[in-house]
Amino acid sequence: MQADRPRHVGARVQRVEDTRLLSGTARYIDDIRLPNMLHLSFVRAQYAHAKILEIDTDGLADLAYPTIVFTGKDTAGIAVTAHQDFPEMQFSEQPVLAEDKVRFVGEPVAAVLADDPYDAEDAAELVFIDYDPLTVVGTMAQARDPEMPAIFDNWKGNIFIERQMKGGDLDAAKAEAAHVIRRTFYNQRQTGVPMECRGVVAEYDQASRVLTVWTSTQIPHLVRTYICEELGLPESRVRVVAPDVGGGFGVKGQVFVEEVLVPWLAMKTGRPVKWIEDRREHMMASIHARDHEHTLEAYVSAEGRLLGLKADISVDVGAYSTYPFTAAGDPGMAAKVMPGPYDFQAYEATFRALATNKCPLGTYRGVARPSAVFSLERLMDEIAAELGMDPFEIRLKNVIRDFPYKNVLGFTYDPGSYAESLEKARDLLAADIAEAARSKASSDTRIGVGCALFIEQGAHGTPDFTRRRVPIETGYIAARVEMEPDGEVIVDVGLQNHGQGHETVMAQVAADVLGVDPSNVYVRQGDTLTTPYSVGTWGSRGGPLGGGAVHEASKILAEKLRAIAGHLLQTDKEKIVLYGGKAQVDGAEDRFIEIRKLCRIALRNVDQLPEGMIPGLEAAYSLDGSADGTYANALHAAVVEIDIKTGKMKLRRFLAVEDCGTILNPLIVDGQVRGGIVQGIGSAMLEHFIYDEECQPLSTSFADYLMPLATEIPNIEVHHIETPTPRTPLGAKGLGEGGAIGPAAAIANAVADALGISVLKTPLNGNEIWRLATAIREGE
Amino acid sequence: MQEIELEVNGVRRRLSVEPRRLLADVLRQEFGLSGVHIGCAQGACGCCTVHIEGVPRLSCLTFAVQCDGASIRTVESIGGVRAEHLLQEAFRSEHGLQCGYCTPGYIMTLVPFVSRMVEEARMPEDEEIREAMSGNICRCTGYHGIVAAVRKAIGDQMAASGGANHAG
Repeated sequence: MQADRPRHVGARVQRVEDTRLLSGTARYIDDIRLPNMLHLSFVRAQYAHAKILEIDTDGLADLAYPTIVFTGKDTAGIAVTAHQDFPEMQFSEQPVLAEDKVRFVGEPVAAVLADDPYDAEDAAELVFIDYDPLTVVGTMAQARDPEMPAIFDNWKGNIFIERQMKGGDLDAAKAEAAHVIRRTFYNQRQTGVPMECRGVVAEYDQASRVLTVWTSTQIPHLVRTYICEELGLPESRVRVVAPDVGGGFGVKGQVFVEEVLVPWLAMKTGRPVKWIEDRREHMMASIHARDHEHTLEAYVSAEGRLLGLKADISVDVGAYSTYPFTAAGDPGMAAKVMPGPYDFQAYEATFRALATNKCPLGTYRGVARPSAVFSLERLMDEIAAELGMDPFEIRLKNVIRDFPYKNVLGFTYDPGSYAESLEKARDLLAADIAEAARSKASSDTRIGVGCALFIEQGAHGTPDFTRRRVPIETGYIAARVEMEPDGEVIVDVGLQNHGQGHETVMAQVAADVLGVDPSNVYVRQGDTLTTPYSVGTWGSRGGPLGGGAVHEASKILAEKLRAIAGHLLQTDKEKIVLYGGKAQVDGAEDRFIEIRKLCRIALRNVDQLPEGMIPGLEAAYSLDGSADGTYANALHAAVVEIDIKTGKMKLRRFLAVEDCGTILNPLIVDGQVRGGIVQGIGSAMLEHFIYDEECQPLSTSFADYLMPLATEIPNIEVHHIETPTPRTPLGAKGLGEGGAIGPAAAIANAVADALGISVLKTPLNGNEIWRLATAIREGE
Repeated sequence: MQEIELEVNGVRRRLSVEPRRLLADVLRQEFGLSGVHIGCAQGACGCCTVHIEGVPRLSCLTFAVQCDGASIRTVESIGGVRAEHLLQEAFRSEHGLQCGYCTPGYIMTLVPFVSRMVEEARMPEDEEIREAMSGNICRCTGYHGIVAAVRKAIGDQMAASGGANHAG
C-alpha cells in the first residue's frame, strides 16, 4: 500500500528557498524599484503626548529639489481602528498622520516625498512642528489612576478594556486549601526585531484603476481588505504582494498606518511611492510586546494539589489598539491560557489593557504566552519551595494525563505528552540536578536547574476568534492545487513565508499525495493575485492548517488522477496508487501510466477521459482549525551558573523536549524550535525596551536594545515526542511560536534554584543578577 | 559630487557620487547588488558586510568615496546565482538560515574564517566559531545551524583539498 512507501513528509528535505537567499538574488521590499518613484520620509512625533499647534513647512520652499508634503489635515478621517466588540471597550483610532494630537514618540505627523530617499530625509528635517506638551501617562499605575487625564477625548480613564473569565467554584477551592500562595510577576517591554525593517511600495494605474501594494507583511489579504475598506476601493482591483520577508515574528502581522498611507499617497500624487523604514523608526514606532504584570493566587492542598487559581492581569498596551487582534489581544490571551497543562477546575481571571503614551503593543512570537507561562511556572516552583517539594514532583502531581481533557474554561485539549516530557527531561538533567545541589554549599559559584512545562494552543478555528469578538474574525487557510499538461504542479496557498520554509514543506505535502517529486511542485504564496483569500501566517497555523489545506486539495486532484488512470488501465480506481511519477495498479508494478501523461490527457487529449468527466486539473480547499485548535506541548529546561562574587551568569545548558504532533520536516522543526528558544533567551536575559518618565524611548538602536549574540548562546538540545493530533489532516500541531514561550520561565526558575530566592521579574540581565547576588552575598 | 573608481565583483567602473552616500546604498543602487542588506545602518548587526580588499567590512558604516580605487566583493561573487560555495552548501544542509535577510552578511563574514581554518588545517571549537560571528545578528536560527554549517564547510573543504594543506 501507499503508506508503506517512503514519503517526503517527515523527511529532512533541504529547503528550496535557500538558493536565492544565499546567493543574494532574493527580492525583499527594498529591492522593489519602479520608474518615476517618489521616496517617503516621515516627520515623527518627538513628544509622547502633545497638542499640535502648528506645522510649518516653509523651509522646504528653499530647497534646490522639489518636495511634496502631506499632514493630518490632508488625510483627515483615514485611520487604523481595531475594536473588540464588547460594551466595556473604549475605542481608539490611530490616524495615518496625527491630526490634532500626538500620543506616542514616533507617531507619524507629516509625510515628505522627494525623488531621492536622502533628499526626502533631509527635507523632513526642515518641517517644524510647534507642540504644546500634555501630561504623559507613562506607567501602568498612572494608567489606572482616575486622576490622570485621559489620552483620548471622550474616554473615561485610560483603560481600553477590563473583563473577567471564570470557571468552577473558586470559593470552594479556597476553603479547601491548606496553602494560599500569592505572588506578583512582571515581564518587561520588548520589541520583536525582524532583521529587515518594514517597508511599503505602492503604484496606482489610473486607467485600469488597479492599485498594487508591495509590503513586508505576514498577512497580505488582511492588508488588502483593510486598505480597501479604509480608502473605499474594490478588492478585485487591489493587489497586495509580500515579497521575500526578512523576518516577522508577529511584528509584521498587523495592518499598520503606513500600509494605508503609502497607497493613498500613490493615488494622490499619481506616482509610485516607496517607504523603507529605518531601524530607529522600527524600534520606536512599529509595535512593542510583553509588558505584563500578573498577580496570581494559588489554592493548594496539603499534598501539593493545585485546587484553584486566581489571576489579576495588567498589560501596558500603549497608545492605540492594533489591527486585527486589538488592545485586548495580550491580556485576553494571558487570561485564557493561564490554566496551562495542569488539572484543576476552579479559576478566575480579571484582565485589563492599559493605555499609555507608548508605542502600541501588537503580536510577537508567543503572544502573551511567554508571560503567562513565566508567571504560572514560577508559581509552581514557589509552591514547590513552600511545600518542600521537588519542582518535577509538584508538576507530575498536577499535570494532565488523560486526554481529551476539558479545562476549567471549557477548552478541550487534544492528546499530548505532558508527563512523559517531564520524566524525560528529569532523566536528561540528572547530573545537572546533582551538581546544582552540591553547589549550594559554595560561596563562589552556584548552579541552578529550572524547568518550564507548557502547552501552546495553535491552529485555532473560527469559533475561537468569534468568542474574542475581534476583527480577525476567522482563521482558515485556503490552498489551490493545479496540475499542468506536462505534469508539473502549482500550489497556491494563503500563507506568507518569512523564514518558515513553506515552499519546501507545502511541496513535500502535495508531492506525497500526488505521487510526484517535490521538485515538480511550485509553491506560490504572499500575493493576493495568485493565492486564495486567507488570513496569512501567524498563530502557528502554517504547518497544521496551510499544510492541511494543501493536503486536502491535493487529495481531490489525486482522486481525479486515479479515476482517469483506472479508466485507461481498465481497473477500479481504488486499486490505483500514485507514486514515483506513476499511477500504477496496486500489486502489479508493470501495469502503470505516467502521471504526466494523465495530466496531458486531462488538459489536452480530453477525448481519452472517461465519459462525462470534465476536463481540467484544479482543486481548492479551505481548512479551518478546530474550535479549540491544537495543543502542542514542551518542556524547556535551563542550567545556569552564577558567580556570586561578580554577579556574572552563564547559561550552561538549554534543552527542549517538544511535541508538535506529526513532524512534517525535522530540519525545519528543529530550526523553528531553536530560533524561538534563542528569542526567549533574549526575553529572559537581555531585551528591554526602556522609556523614561516622559515616555521618551531610550532603546532605539542595537547598542541600547541588546539581543542574544552567538557567543551568549549554548548549543540548544532538542528532543522530540510525536503525538499526532486527530484535529488536523496530517496530525501536525502548531509549532512556530513554542520555542519563545518557555525560556523566560525556565531560566528564572534556574536562577531561583541557584540562589535559593524568589525571582519575580525579567529581564535577568547583568544588573538584575548582580542585585540578586549582592543580596545573597550580604545575607551570608 | 565626486568621481571615484570601484572594482566590484571583478568589474571596474567609474562613477560620480555624493560624498555622503553609503557604500551599501551605492552597491545596491548603482551596481544593482540586492545581496547587500541594511539591517540597522548603525554598524551593529553585520547584515551589510562586504569585502573591501579581501577584508570583511560594514558597508553601512563606509562612505563610497572612501573606497576610491578599492576592490570590493559582495555575496553575489561568492558562489554565483546557484550559491555553490561549500559554505553556502553547508548553510543549506545544516539549516543555517531561515528568513535569509542576515545571511549574505554571515557568508561574507565567514568565508575568510573558513578559508583560514582550512589553511591552518584545524577544526575550531564551537566557541571560536561563535566568536568569529559575534559581529553579526541572526534573529531566526538561534545560531545553532550556522555553527554547524561552518564546521561542515571547514570539514568539507579540508577533505576536498586532501592532504595539500598539510604539505608545508
